[in-house]
Amino acid sequence: MVGKDCVAIACDLRLGSQSLGVSNNFEKVFQYGHVFMGLTGLASDVLTVHENFRMKTNLYKMREEREIEPESMANLVSTSLYEKRFGPWFVGPIVAGINSKSGKPFVCAFDFIGCIDYAKDFVVSGTAADQLYGMCEGLYEPNLEPEDLFETISQALLNAADRDALSGWGAVVYVITKDKVTKRYLKSRQD
Amino acid sequence: MDIILGIRVKDSVIVATSKAFTRGISILKDNDDKTRTLNQFNLLAFTGDSGDTTQFAEYIQANIQLFSMRENTEMDSKSIASYIRQQLASSLRSRKPYQVQIMLGGLNKGIEPFLTIIDYLGTRTDLPYCAHGYAAFYTMSLLDHHYKENMSLEDGLRILKLCHEELDKRMPVDFKGLNVKVIDKDGVRDVEF
Amino acid sequence: MSINDISYRFSHKSQLDQNNNDELPLNINNFNLNSLAPSISIPPISQPTDFLRAHTDDDINPDCNIKIAHGTTTLAFRFKEGIIVAVDSRATAGNWIASQTVKKVIEINPMLLGTMAGGAADCQYWETWLGTQCRLHELRNKERISVCAASKILSNLVYNYKGMGLSMGTMICGFTPKEGPTIYYVDSDGTRLKGDLFCVGSGQTFAYGVLDSNYKWDLTVDEALYLGKRSILAAAHRDAFSGGSINLFHVTENGWVFHGNHDVGPLFWEIKEAEGSFNNVNS
Repeated sequence: MVGKDCVAIACDLRLGSQSLGVSNNFEKVFQYGHVFMGLTGLASDVLTVHENFRMKTNLYKMREEREIEPESMANLVSTSLYEKRFGPWFVGPIVAGINSKSGKPFVCAFDFIGCIDYAKDFVVSGTAADQLYGMCEGLYEPNLEPEDLFETISQALLNAADRDALSGWGAVVYVITKDKVTKRYLKSRQD
Repeated sequence: MDIILGIRVKDSVIVATSKAFTRGISILKDNDDKTRTLNQFNLLAFTGDSGDTTQFAEYIQANIQLFSMRENTEMDSKSIASYIRQQLASSLRSRKPYQVQIMLGGLNKGIEPFLTIIDYLGTRTDLPYCAHGYAAFYTMSLLDHHYKENMSLEDGLRILKLCHEELDKRMPVDFKGLNVKVIDKDGVRDVEF
Repeated sequence: MSINDISYRFSHKSQLDQNNNDELPLNINNFNLNSLAPSISIPPISQPTDFLRAHTDDDINPDCNIKIAHGTTTLAFRFKEGIIVAVDSRATAGNWIASQTVKKVIEINPMLLGTMAGGAADCQYWETWLGTQCRLHELRNKERISVCAASKILSNLVYNYKGMGLSMGTMICGFTPKEGPTIYYVDSDGTRLKGDLFCVGSGQTFAYGVLDSNYKWDLTVDEALYLGKRSILAAAHRDAFSGGSINLFHVTENGWVFHGNHDVGPLFWEIKEAEGSFNNVNS
């Protein structure tokens, strides 16, 4: 979700196998330098794709002698996913971050074979995507300050997860400004 | 219907597996051991498609041992867990994936108790207590209720007893009791249960 | 000819109807109140059951257009001082949580409770209908119906519809002077079991886990109420399709007593704090 000179990215913490909740400590948002990626979908691929991008962004950093920017990350994610066009990773990634040069917030989402969906307000992904769209359309307003953005994204996530049987069991919210990243764990319903 | 159960307690890890080996409608063996010792401090428990299970477990076992011979160092639990996950995840996209559910119990670097489960898809999570298959449906609520952080081995075995009673009572098939192993600073050992 | 007459003509007749309604004219107004099953219309095609299943069973066809609400944890157990009935309140259609405030205990009459698992509409309809049958029994026989007989009426009824897609798993709980506290498990396969302790629904195993290890016949009322609540909480936590809030009932010789609606949201943290349990959850 985009705010005024800030972005926020959040995920729930549930890992389940169908109806059985297995873990309540499965984070789906990962940090690569100052870029953040959220991954939903098949948990195994979430881990594999994360490990892949950890490698790719580290190699990028060594070659370029700087951290990857969100826009480049988006293209990297897109091409990496399309590479597996005929045997895809079953993930729905979203990328969020602030361009360290221009200071512009950036968010985008992908389908599982790499089509980029650029957005200027918010993107969602996962089993509760429908509910999240509803919440975000209702709560979002442009140019929110970091604290207000935190409140908005938290309420959107929490309330969407409460209407999805396969989401919830805790949540994490990152609020990212140009020079600070705050990570907060949210207390949520445990059913 | 195989049972694999793990509980992480203070300074040790308990791994319990069912003794029955079932094929079709018969129990072929009532003292089956569904675990392999990887090295001094790590024990691998497995269930899944028969054939795949032992093949995969012994493949992992051999590779871990090979590594320690080559590098002259023991692999710690976290590295082993990453290695197994990686193997399963790449196997998933091969022509014939291993259909194996894994539980790894051990002492990470010989000190820190460590328990992780990995399913055939390569989904891995580190947990204080966990189970594979239907057993999870019966035992997780019990463990949610009784498990305490840093509980003693005796208390851990006491909860395991409760789990065993519950499984015995509610599981529709006879699983012929549990093999219980404990991994602590002295290595892997069997426990009378 | 009214629309009712037309639909009645094309309605499926249950076996019992066919037996005692042969001489009945088509006029719906003469419909026999004594008959066990009222008429329910079915689609006029060759295999109505397959048709229904193809469009409502999301296990077989996940893309089906009609998803029947299900997913539940319910329990009832007998003890020294009566019966405890505890249920969750979540209804799901696929992964969508359709409601968190479903009443899954149906008060058939002041002495009888029925629980609801499986198809929400099936349970609600037939247990309400069971209420009318129980009342009719009272009027006819000047005596309250036994739990045994009430559950048999329901069991016979659902058996008539076997294979047509009814989906219910229910416990009929009551206290009569003749029988004492009694629980019957009745499901849509036609199973009918008398017993001391049942858990029904997708979260049954989780509830059994807690219930079995703490259950004693000599429980006090407070202990028993807590155990019922705690068992449902365990299921609400682990089972994705159970949750919402917990409804608690105690059945005594004087009829049932409602012991409140407990929202799982705050209740979970309260019990975690008090018991020092749920140590897998970080607060």
